Amino acid sequence: MILHPGALALITGAVLCFSMTAYAVVLALKIIWHWDISSSSELQLALERRTYLISTVMNYVMGFEILSLFLYVYTLDSIHVLFVGAMCATGSLNANPIGWYVLYTRIAIFFLSATWIAINYLDGQAEDYPLVKLKYKFLLFIAPMIFLDGYLEIKYFAGLKPDVITSCCGSLFSDESKKVAGSLAGLPIKPMMYVFYCAAATLAALSALSMKVKASIVKYLTSFASILFFPIAIASTISFISIYYYELPTHHCPFDILQGTYNYVGYPLFVSLFGGSFFPVASGVAELFGSVPSLREPVGKAQKRWYVVSIILIAIFVGFSSWPIVFSGFTPF
Amino acid sequence: MAYPTPTTITAITAPSAIIAVEGVSKIFNAGEADEMRALDGVTLSVAKGSMAVLKGPSGSGKTTILGIIGCMTRPTSGKVMVNGKDVAKLPEHFLTDIRRRTFGFIFQHFNLIKGITVKENIMLPLYPTSIPIHEMKERADAILESLNIYQKRNYHVEKLSGGEKQRVSIARALINNPEIILADEPTSHLDTKLSEDLMDRLSRLNGEGKTIVIATHDPLVYDKPYVNRIIEMRDGKVIGT
Amino acid sequence: MFIYSIIVATLTSLLFLTQSLKKEAMDVFIEAPELIVQRMSAGRHDLIPVGYAEKILSIPGVSSVEPRYWGYYYDNLTGGNYTLIARNIDALHMVKGTLPKGPGECAIGKGVADVRLTDLNDVLFLSINPQQKVSLKVVGIFTADSAILTNDLVVMDKNDLVNFFALPKDMATDLIVHVSNASEVPTIAMKIRRDYPDTRPITRSEIVRTYENVFNWRGGMALTMFIGPLLAFAIFAWDKATGMSAGERQEIGILKAIGWETTDVLKLKFWEGMAISLTSFLTGSILAYIHVFYFGAALFAPVLKGWSVLFPPFNPIPYIDLYQIFVIFFLTVIPYLASTIIPSWKAAVTDPDTVMRS
Ligand SMILES: Nc1ncnc2c1ncn2[C@@H]1O[C@H](COP(=O)(O)OP(=O)(O)OP(=O)(O)O)[C@@H](O)[C@H]1O
Ligand SMILES: [Mg+2]
Repeated sequence: MILHPGALALITGAVLCFSMTAYAVVLALKIIWHWDISSSSELQLALERRTYLISTVMNYVMGFEILSLFLYVYTLDSIHVLFVGAMCATGSLNANPIGWYVLYTRIAIFFLSATWIAINYLDGQAEDYPLVKLKYKFLLFIAPMIFLDGYLEIKYFAGLKPDVITSCCGSLFSDESKKVAGSLAGLPIKPMMYVFYCAAATLAALSALSMKVKASIVKYLTSFASILFFPIAIASTISFISIYYYELPTHHCPFDILQGTYNYVGYPLFVSLFGGSFFPVASGVAELFGSVPSLREPVGKAQKRWYVVSIILIAIFVGFSSWPIVFSGFTPF
Repeated sequence: MAYPTPTTITAITAPSAIIAVEGVSKIFNAGEADEMRALDGVTLSVAKGSMAVLKGPSGSGKTTILGIIGCMTRPTSGKVMVNGKDVAKLPEHFLTDIRRRTFGFIFQHFNLIKGITVKENIMLPLYPTSIPIHEMKERADAILESLNIYQKRNYHVEKLSGGEKQRVSIARALINNPEIILADEPTSHLDTKLSEDLMDRLSRLNGEGKTIVIATHDPLVYDKPYVNRIIEMRDGKVIGT
Repeated sequence: MFIYSIIVATLTSLLFLTQSLKKEAMDVFIEAPELIVQRMSAGRHDLIPVGYAEKILSIPGVSSVEPRYWGYYYDNLTGGNYTLIARNIDALHMVKGTLPKGPGECAIGKGVADVRLTDLNDVLFLSINPQQKVSLKVVGIFTADSAILTNDLVVMDKNDLVNFFALPKDMATDLIVHVSNASEVPTIAMKIRRDYPDTRPITRSEIVRTYENVFNWRGGMALTMFIGPLLAFAIFAWDKATGMSAGERQEIGILKAIGWETTDVLKLKFWEGMAISLTSFLTGSILAYIHVFYFGAALFAPVLKGWSVLFPPFNPIPYIDLYQIFVIFFLTVIPYLASTIIPSWKAAVTDPDTVMRS
């Protein structure tokens, strides 16, 4: 157990998020059972008012989760001195591998809750609440993730033992490591660059195409491309983008770029990546509801906007990734 | 219980009806001991550009029907057509949208917000819209000018006289350039002179093409010659038009 | 709002305090030897034969070994515990005057100088019993900046110290081992332990980690103690926000009636909550900054330190860590915002027609 202020803050945040979600779930269950759009009863009115409460709670939960994702990475970075062999956040994660799962669930929660908010937004654009039951059922699906995330986070901090000898990014993200992360770092740089730029170009092109073409299949394809693009981009960050920023052929850590030493370049990089890969997915999800008559128009409008935003964000991401490759004199090969 | 009248059909189909209410009931606290049927099968229509008065004793349901027409409350049953669109079952988001675009309200109590200035009070209805702030200011200034309270624009509302408050509340009702103005007992807190002044202004607005609906039991209002329609209510029903 | 600021100020002071204590300690430890070898006897730290040094020196990678002489001295006169240490090569700097150059001279920490009312060129007299006593001329006083490590220090000549403590011949307090390649420290530590099972090699990174833990633990404990008040505060905020005044209800009713939607009111309430919590947060942080860095955390330094009368007077170097600020933000602003959700919603769903019935 580590009584670090950051850990305490994170656990407080996790407990808060969990209680808020649990509360939202209780409200959602009532809505799922009793919702009747054709009724003008007091109950229905009360339920309608509750939808505002649930939306607010979920917006806050998502906001908190994003902040706590950052705080989590900072805290990992701050506690690494406690572990022998750790030089940065990666070392802290390896000191208790549950930490990695916290990172994964939190990223998953980001995408899920953002999707929920997108569906909720669309639902609000139609006069007859066409998605109300569906969105609250989806909420029931997200809630366990948030619970799991909080549980894992507490377990991670509880299971941390100072003095544990851990491996750090130097070994984890080094070419010799047998782990997945190591193999990511070991990916040959040049082919990886081709894959990365092709993937980015494909995604941007598909997004642009989706704005022009009516066919649903193109939109689903774009969503699929963006789901593929996210891991490719993360792998590229580890494989070559990071080393260009660090100007060290062996330093692959994806967390260090968030630090001031590297001008906080990690923020625009990750924000544009998360946003850029989310919006095509959201547009694909929206396409599922495009056949609902009252949603046809709002879906079309939202998709247009989302594709534009996604193209811009992907461009920003590619720009930030290519900056050091083009302008630094560093040549790893 | 519906209250069928022969006028129902014409009310809905009349091309000039900007407001058409058909068989509207409103039950408060349904199913409880204090169940209250405030409206019982109300059917009425108001022609575009007319000046209509809802007349009736206290408790007859005037405020309730005004709230339903103004998209503030939803009826328990019935149809409410505003500009040809049924608003009876719309979610709040859409009701608000229609209310913002279509209606201006003048309340019995002036219902101004204390602690902020006259101008800010007037601009309040526009804040949730996408109208840019400089346009909001221009509109507010123009309306303040036309109502002769421009020089008081930076006063806090609690420092205004009753007549000035009345004009500020009219200005606020006009800021969104509404087609319909709804007024609930607008004269009940005004002396005769101010009441006359108010009616004057309303008739002028009516002359500019705005539809005006006033709920009142003040003869000073419904005896005016330019009131071209009187709807009488009693116990939640329309008893004569 | 006031209570909120005070809570933020308290939390922030705590974190600022531990943080700068930690930083100060760490700054000094960075200059500490990489490897110290102590001898253990009956589970306690005991004197180490100087002869061990030769064999340790023969371990590949060790560049030099140096015996260190030091001990604690309880001063009956002032009730303080001093640390007496023989001058060695990499002794501390930050001294006013000089370090002792030979027998009969000493340099002392600010704390010792203060409680003994001694200044440069005065004489410091220490005695354990009529046989073990020494008078030393004060030739240097450590400056306050380094107080955390030097406050209770008396640096003197090796012979003076050996005589004063009556240390047996060829025994030292511990050995400092210099290693040419820092990455070999753990291996060398292991070899020493194997060669001399009665020794305990301590590496610098171990000390650093232990200190990290101590400070984190203290900071964490103190924070835990504040979770209670924090919750109380959240409930207070809740109460205040739920019990909407008639005037406020009326105002929201007016907004709803003139064309505001529930979401607009919710947004308004969110920004209101943000404004309140951020102002309080900033006020609190500034108060904490002043408290810790201008007043030396006068209000609760005793809670966090104070083992000895001679614990350093705390003169922290102003230093702000964005991470700490973010932690405080997380611990205060987020619970506050969360606690305003339901009350804001209750206010926001006020029926627009309520204003027509007042
Ligand atoms: N929220 C409510 N809950 C229960 N009863 C209500 C509610 N609002 C109004 N009523 C009842 O509905 C009836 C009609 O009320 P309404 O305010 O429409 O009358 P009114 O014609 O405007 O009267 P007045 O001239 O006094 O303003 C009244 O008997 C009132 O008590
Ligand atoms: Mg009334």
